[in-house]
Parts: sequence; structure tokens; C-alpha cells
Amino acid sequence: MNQDSFKDISNKDLKIGVFLCRCGGNISDTVDMEKLRSSVDAEMVEEFENLCSINGRKIIRDSIIQKDLDRVVVAACSPITHEKTFQKYVNPLNPYLLEMANIREQCSWVNPDVETATEKAISLVNASIEKVKYAQPLDPVLRKTTKSAAVIGGGISGISASLSLARQGIKTCLIEEQPTIGGAMVKVGKLFSPEKLAEECAMCLLNPLVNEAVEHKNIRIMTNTTLKAAERRSGNFHLLIESKPRKVIEDRCISCGKCAEVCPVEVKDSWNEEMTFRKAIYKPFAQAVPDVYTIDLENCKNCGKCQEICRMNAIDLDMEGEVIPMTVGSVVIATGHKTFDMNKRPEYSYGHHEDIVTQMELARIMGVNGPTKGKLLKPSNNKIPERVVMVQCVGSRDEKPGGRKYCSKVCCMVAIKHANVIKQHYPNTDVIICYTDMRTPGMYEKYFKYAQSNGVRLIRGRPGEVAEKDGIFTVRLEDTLSREPLEIEADLVVLSTAMEPSDGTINVSGLLDVGLTEELFVKEKHSKIKPVATEVEGVYVCGTAQGPKDITDSIVQANAAAAKISELINGGVELEPFVASIDPSKCTLCKKCIDICKYKAAYIQDGILTVDPISCTGCGACIWECENNAIEIMGQTDEQIIATIDGMLKDKKPDENRIIAFLDSVGYVSADNIGINKITVPSSVRIIKIPSMNRIMPKHILHAFKMGADGIIMGEYPYNPMYSRTKEKIAGLKEVLVKNNINPDKLAFYKVYIPYFRGLANKFKEFDGEIKCLDTT
Amino acid sequence: MKTIKLKKESVQLVKDVLKDIKASPDLGIYKCVQCGMCTSVCPGARQTDYDPRDMIRRVLEDDETVIDNDNIWNCFSCYTCNSVCPCGNNASEINQILRQMSIDKGEGMKKIVSFTAYGDSFMELGVGSIPSNFFDVMVKDIGPGYMDLKINIEDIRTDLGLGSYILPEKAIDEVESILDNSGFKDRLKKIKRCK
Repeated sequence: MNQDSFKDISNKDLKIGVFLCRCGGNISDTVDMEKLRSSVDAEMVEEFENLCSINGRKIIRDSIIQKDLDRVVVAACSPITHEKTFQKYVNPLNPYLLEMANIREQCSWVNPDVETATEKAISLVNASIEKVKYAQPLDPVLRKTTKSAAVIGGGISGISASLSLARQGIKTCLIEEQPTIGGAMVKVGKLFSPEKLAEECAMCLLNPLVNEAVEHKNIRIMTNTTLKAAERRSGNFHLLIESKPRKVIEDRCISCGKCAEVCPVEVKDSWNEEMTFRKAIYKPFAQAVPDVYTIDLENCKNCGKCQEICRMNAIDLDMEGEVIPMTVGSVVIATGHKTFDMNKRPEYSYGHHEDIVTQMELARIMGVNGPTKGKLLKPSNNKIPERVVMVQCVGSRDEKPGGRKYCSKVCCMVAIKHANVIKQHYPNTDVIICYTDMRTPGMYEKYFKYAQSNGVRLIRGRPGEVAEKDGIFTVRLEDTLSREPLEIEADLVVLSTAMEPSDGTINVSGLLDVGLTEELFVKEKHSKIKPVATEVEGVYVCGTAQGPKDITDSIVQANAAAAKISELINGGVELEPFVASIDPSKCTLCKKCIDICKYKAAYIQDGILTVDPISCTGCGACIWECENNAIEIMGQTDEQIIATIDGMLKDKKPDENRIIAFLDSVGYVSADNIGINKITVPSSVRIIKIPSMNRIMPKHILHAFKMGADGIIMGEYPYNPMYSRTKEKIAGLKEVLVKNNINPDKLAFYKVYIPYFRGLANKFKEFDGEIKCLDTT
Repeated sequence: MKTIKLKKESVQLVKDVLKDIKASPDLGIYKCVQCGMCTSVCPGARQTDYDPRDMIRRVLEDDETVIDNDNIWNCFSCYTCNSVCPCGNNASEINQILRQMSIDKGEGMKKIVSFTAYGDSFMELGVGSIPSNFFDVMVKDIGPGYMDLKINIEDIRTDLGLGSYILPEKAIDEVESILDNSGFKDRLKKIKRCK
């Protein structure tokens, strides 16, 4: 029906109906409605009270039918408020054959003077009339994605996300770089919980989950593999997964361990934080999944002894790695964290003495499957320590070079956990935690009190140095509560090191074009309303890849990410059709648009350049790259932009100043807020909403100046993935102006933010003043 | 008992410190969390009652008596506090600003009288050199070899193939002229009067 209503007639013959809303005086008290009505040229121009009411629907529909209208302009409030309403009211016309003129928020509410407000309203309505002439009937984009997902990272977050997806019937591939899944959680041994005082066994909690993942028909676990490349296509992701050769045939290995017995190569065991040794053929720990041995390619000398002894013929020293392509609907980044590099803080003497360890090393020492089978023994001499001193905030809350400015969030609880475990088993060992602030929010406070009642000592001060003499350590700090410098003697020092983004987190985000925070964790789309989404639609994040957090929070996020993927698969998404459209007859497949698009929206399918409407934001950066003019943005075509500019500048008086302000959606809302707060702005400013400043090209700017614009403002929200391009573009546009003998100061660029509408209003005022000065000089 | 009154009193000291010409533009005094890391590494704090953390606290709490406190003169300006501070603060720098405030008030003048001999050395020789009034202390710290070095310096330098360290008369005059015109000479006189 929508398609049928579009008549292929020339723009001049189009019958346009203009509906003016008085808005209960909000508009008509300031704008001279009679003058507005008589100044506008259209098939029909009528004014009404409260067009948004149900009565308005009848008025608009009846007029369309009776007057056989082809297009509709509604001059009323902001389209942010009521565009959706009026899109419904113009039925039987296609909803996209409607254009709104914002004569309330951006006219009557910001220009109290009747004469100038009326002049401005006329030009806003004219702009909408000109633009609507080029409107095309469009349909909203409805998309569903493939019922499959890839989860990158096989720690607790990745395992939890995979299980939730699999249980919802979504085929899931769990990709893990290490030979076994389980991540950091299997190494820490004991876990703290929000409600309980008892420490839980990590392996006991994790094993059932791992077993379910292994057994689940919807989960494919791929260990020893990494993501090598990623491409976005029509809502799906084409991934290339590289697997390292295990050199052990998984189906044959019965994990008897004979191979490791005969292997002559001994290397430090990273699973035990390098405190023990393992062979070059190894299984990280007894309960490892998959339950098979792996050859460490870096250290294996290819002597063949393992091959000789293996009765299952499971060892294949010639095994080669492979690259596996796969297509999935969504991706979860669960690539976790690493711990702070202690080489950056030599003042704590880490690495010089065996008995200065990190919390993770202490966890291994106290782990029943660790180097001492769970006994708290000092690495140097296998004796029980007399005093353990823990140093908090090592590398965290640290503004020094290489430090992490943030709080790593878990270290206070980790230190208390280890202190409690020590106190339970070794009551004679003194435990002192040196802290700046103990952070045990919510239910964790109970566990903190428990530590105090166990006799764990807390001293408020941040140690600056750990020195050693004759096997005894001196931890130097100031007891800031008693206000005296203090030296604590200790025979085991434990450093609570910061959580940092893992290399995998940084690499995978780069491959998927997902934005990172200043600290290089994966950036969420919005920390409150879109907490597990990333800037790339269909890519989600959970666990410590997103920021420091404990296991409880990681699992919550993992389940949230799975739920969001389920939403995408089951509900699909309905999107505005304002995306890039390609003319295949002009496209030469040069791929420049593909290279520039940070949203990964463009791709080639069956020899045709295609745009994924889910990913495309209609920003228009690709248009600049296209030498053959093969790209248009629906709803923002060149004709529409030029027509809008023409309308805005129509009937400009010789003594009048008009400034065109191109604002992105954030800037437009900010400008509406100026009106809502009734802040007066210069009447010269005429706002045109554009998805991104990347859409504005030299021809638009030059056309605006040619048609009489006195100045041009461009405003964009800086936290969008294409912003870096925008900044380059502005410099280019200014050069173009210089070449055309136009003062480049007549073009201004501002960062816009929704809450800083007062700042934007001031910019309008300042720029208006500057333009007036430029004109007189 | 101390009361933080509802009616806000203007906190001036920390603002004065930040406005001081010596204060780095990114001086992180407001970000101090009183962790005591500065004090933990401070050699002055180990030997005396000087406590850089407490000095910062007093500045933040607008306690102007910190300027008159003798302990601020126990900082060695070794900057170790600055090298470890996790908050981007610099206790050494703040110490120097407070000392200058003390000097400006007059009280601090007495503390630097013994250093005026350094100034004299600049005037007389054009270079800084350890003044003779410190020789006893140097001998105590380093041993009798110090005096041998002082007495035989010319010979030792010759043996090592080094030239004379005495500046030519013309250069000394130029340095003196700079010190005179920049007000250094007057300042030196003023400080000496405190003796």
C-alpha cells in the first residue's frame, strides 16, 4: 500500500499539504500565524489547535484524501516529540513522505520577538516543503540475525555466556587461546561470596558448568585457538579462527600421562605462576578440559620420545595448525584480564626474592592442586611464614607512569579471603593488610568484619618500599592513623596487583572494530542502559574484558550478554531506513567505502557492494570516498540537503543574517533543550539535522554560502566511532572555503553534548556576534 | 573539639599554594588520599618529626600554623615522595612553597641565614662552593680526607689533568653584576641582618 501511494510525478506538480499547529499558544503566542500562513506556498496551508490530538489524525487524513495530497509538512513541535505520531497520522501516505518543521523548540521558545520568530518560522516551513519534495517512500528495516554466536574467551564469563546461549537453543562456539578452558577462576582455588563467610571451592563450582558445556550439543569448544580476522555481513559475522597444532590427537589421547614422564624438556609452569616445572608435553592441571595432553610448541625439541611411548598413537609431531572460517550472528568478547607487570614497581623488590609474591601466586600456593598441595609454605625454604604482610593497591589507584588510575575492585576482598584462609589454618601466623581504603561494598562488609574477628590486622598506610636483610623483609609505610613512620618485619610479602586488560581483549577488540576505554578495556555502549552492548551492533562484552570485577559480577554480565543476543535473534530489530544505498551500475567495487566504515556496514556479496542496514548509521563518511557517486543516504540525499538549505535561505532580506547550523542527533536534542529551557538564541540560527557531520560535503557548504548564508555551524557528539574522521573533514572544508575566497572563520565546528545545551546556546550567540563583526570588517 | 561550621569559611592556604609560581600546573594536592606513601619513603621523616603526609593534610585543612612549623625545614628536597606518590601530588614542591611563605613572613629568614655563605661564594668566585662554616660538619660526615681535598684541590686537579676552577676576573664581575641587578645582593643583605 505504501509503495502504491507513491506517484511518479515531477517535484513541481506535487501537491503538498502544510499543517500549522498553534500548540495551545506555545507557538501562536509568538509566531504570527496569519502571516506564516500567507507567506507559505503550497497546495494547502491550514492552521489548527493541538494537531497531535486524536482529532488531528482525522484532520490530516481527511485533507490527504479530499485534496489528493502527495506530501505532508507538519509545522509544530520537535520531531523528537511527535514525529512518530504524525508518521501514523499521514496514513494512507507512506510515513516517510512527512516532514516536520520544528517551530516550537527551535523557534517560538527561543525567539521571543514576534517579527523575527515569524520570519524564522517561515523559513523553517519553507525548508521542510523543499525537502519533502524529494522524499521517497521507504519501509522500516526489519532484520533477524542467525541463531548462532561465537564466544571469545573460555574463562568463567565465556563459559557462562556459552551455556546460557546454548540452553536457549543458540549454536555457540567457545574460542579459547589456552589448551584448556577455565581461565583465571580455576587458578584461584577458593572464592569469596557476597552472602557466605565460608570460602567456596572454585573447581567444585566450575566443574559442573564445564561438564555441561562439554556435553551440550549446542556448544563447540575450541581450545588452542584465536580469532584472526572478522568481517561484518548483513547482520552476521564472518570469522577466521586460527588453531595452533596441539600435536596430540584429541580423540585418541586417554590422558595417561606416560608422554610427560618420558619428556626430557622441563619448563616453568605458567599455570602455577611459574613456581613449579612441567614438561614440554603437558596437561595444565588434573581436571583440565579437554582432558588431553598438549605439546608446547615453543619448548618441544621434537625428540620423539613421547611418540614412542604412546600406546594410543595419539601423538602427531607433524600436525599443522589450521584456519577455520565460521559465520555467526553475534559475538561475545569474554577475553578477560591480566595482572600488573611488577617490573614497573621495583620498589617492592618483586622478582628479587622468592618470598615476595602476588596474590595470584599465593592463591596457587594455597591451592590444593598447587606447588605445595595447599600448604602455606614459603617458596624459599618450605617453612610456614611467621608473618604475612599484604600490600594493597599495587599498580591500582596509581597515577604514576605505567600505573592504573582505577581501583581494581576485587583486591580488598581477595586479600581478606587469603587472610581468612591463613588464619583458619595457621592461627599462629600473623597477617597484616596495609591498605589505603578497604573497599568491601554491599554484603561483602560481613566478610570484612569476619576477618577482623579472626585477628587479621589492618594498618592504614600505603607502603613505599619493601627491603630485605638476611631473609627478613622490611615493609616501610606510615601508619597514618597513629601518624608515625613504621617498619613491619615480615617473612612473606604478598602484593595485591592491579587487574589490566588482557592482550586478547585489546587484539580481539581491534579485529572487531569495537571501541576501547582510555584504560583499554572494552567500552560499553552505555554503562547504564546498554551495559553489555558495544559500539558494534551484535558484539557484546562480559567479565573482566569490560573492566575489573569479581566472579559474581562476571557471571551476571555473561548472562546479560546472552539475553541480549537472544533478544536480537528472537525479536529482530526494526530500524529507520536512513542508511546508505548503493547504485550497482556506478559502483566499481573499489572497496574504499568498506575500508573507511568503522561500523563494518559495507561488504561485497555475490559481486555486489551491499550495506548492512543494522550496522549502517547513515553517517555518510563513505560518500567522501566514493569517486563514482554510487552512494546515497536515504532520507539525506544530496537533493534533500540542498533543498533544505534553499528553503532555509529563501526570501532572505538584504540586512538580515542567516546562519545554518548542521547538528547531529545529539546536537539536535541539545538544541531542543535550549528551547525547553526557554533560553533566547539569535534568530539568525537555522538548524538542520544531519546524522553525522561526515555527511556534509564541500558542495553543501559552498551552496549554502552561494545562496546567502552568512555563517555555518557544524556540531557533533565527540564520542562516536567516526569522530576522528569528522575532525579531519572540518579542516578540509575550511581549506575549500579559502580556495573559494570565503573567510574560513565563517565555518565553526563545536562538540555537542545533550546536557550542555546552555553551552551550545552561548556558542550560537558568540558565533552570531562574530559573523556580524566579520560582515562589518 | 574542632567544628566544621555550616557557614563555610574560605579555605585560603591550599589556593595560595596552588597559585604560587613554584606550583606545577598539574600539582595533585586535591587528589591526596592521605595514604602516607610519601612519608614511608621520606629520609627526613625517618630521622625527624617531619611528616610530608601530615604537612599536606594541614595545607588542605587550611591550618596556617604549618608554615611556622619547624618540621618543614627537615625536608632534603630529594623528591622521593614525588617519585612514589600515586596521586600526582608533590610534597617536596609544596614544602618549598611553604618555606618561601615562611621566609616571606620573616620567620623563615632565620632558617636560611646559614646558607647565605653560598650567596657570598657566588659573589666572590662566580660559582657556588661549600662555605667554610660547613667544613667542620663535612669533616664529621666524610672524615679528615675532606680537609686534605680542600687544601690540595689545585694539585689534585693538576694531577687529574683538569684546569683551574677559578673563574677569570671579568666573568666574576659579570656574575656579580647580574646578582646585583636582579636584587639578589639586596636580598642576601636582608637575610644576613637576621643573624
